[in-house]
Amino acid sequence: MPKVKIPRKSTSVDMTAMCDVSFLLLTFFILTSKFKPTEPVAIDLPNSRSSIQVNDAIKISVDKNGKAYINYPSATFRLKTLEKMGEYYKDKYPQLTQLTDKQKNNFAQVETFGFDSKSNIPELLSKKPDEISKMSTGIPMDSLDNQLGDWIQAGRYADVDINHPTANGAIRIAIKGDKQTDVKAVQQVIKTLTDNDIHTFNLITTLAGGSTSATADQK
Amino acid sequence: MAEIDTSGGGGGKHGGKVRGKKLSTKVDLTPMVDLAFLLITFFMLTTSLNKPKAMDLSMPKKDKEKQKDVKEGQLINVLLGKDDIVWYYETKEGNMTDMKQTTFSGTGGIRDVIMRKHARVDRDYGMDEDKKTKEKTHKTIVLIKMAEGAKYKDMVDILDEMDITKSKIYAIQDIVPIEQETIDNDGKVKTETVTVKQK
Repeated sequence: MPKVKIPRKSTSVDMTAMCDVSFLLLTFFILTSKFKPTEPVAIDLPNSRSSIQVNDAIKISVDKNGKAYINYPSATFRLKTLEKMGEYYKDKYPQLTQLTDKQKNNFAQVETFGFDSKSNIPELLSKKPDEISKMSTGIPMDSLDNQLGDWIQAGRYADVDINHPTANGAIRIAIKGDKQTDVKAVQQVIKTLTDNDIHTFNLITTLAGGSTSATADQK
Repeated sequence: MAEIDTSGGGGGKHGGKVRGKKLSTKVDLTPMVDLAFLLITFFMLTTSLNKPKAMDLSMPKKDKEKQKDVKEGQLINVLLGKDDIVWYYETKEGNMTDMKQTTFSGTGGIRDVIMRKHARVDRDYGMDEDKKTKEKTHKTIVLIKMAEGAKYKDMVDILDEMDITKSKIYAIQDIVPIEQETIDNDGKVKTETVTVKQK
């Protein structure tokens, strides 16, 4: 009796389909992910258990030393804001109205900026965007010379021009403070906001670790 | 690699003509898939873990300040000091005789203090009802004040505690000089300030 030979089949699986799918996913994730914007200072966010998402917002960063920086949602937004600054506060900051297109463009490239608008702005904006970001010294926000308030107002005017918001759909304002920032600096920012009639805003935090939120849920 | 050669020997039998060995056109895609999945994992983890969240904060409008009828028993003053120390007292502002000290820890900290306060206020003054959600809310009024040396983290922490303990009525206020003095004096009332108050 002849032996029944079981035909040996190849164990190799066609990987092409899997490869296609995985690269499709990969492309999707690369394209949808937003890279962290370059910031003049690293900010270590405090934890909280709130989970509200904030996408488009004017973000005011307050670093460890209590210096304030401002971040607008997009490059067009920044250009518009600069324009509005020149329009509404031209007596206060005459330099901002005399910028060349190149300097304006450089300004639009800097994601988070913070400088004294009364210092030599045209010279600063002639530099490369990276250098401008590095040279940030913080926006003055004391009660005598509250430039931060002007930048926020200009941002709101720009928002009206770009997004045409309805009364309650206006752009959000968010404060991004470092864990170790003296609370006085943050309170000064809050005071600036309330002085400008902004009474509702967000504080940006990261999600707290599992252990703390678990105990919180038990309560 | 992932393939097992099953062609079994090959050649030999036919002899004769020397044929060029037919090479398979298949390329082993396994390492490529490995790499792709590794990258996918990387991008997924980095994008989802890096999303910052935000908390809402509303400050009272100055011009529309509504004065509610407030009973002294509803009040709790929470003062944030340096090194994560939390001070609190439950009488009206400026009466510093029962200032106590606590921390931010989950048990035995400020959370428990507020929960106990809620229980007392619920017993003495009843509860409010939210008109829309029909949810019962506590009548406790928490006044938050920042003393010298408080960090931004403390502020976020106490706002988080407000959320955890479901305290709906709270406000961030400026600290009163006498409170700062008492904190500097380690929670004890300075004798001079007491005599000034008695005059």
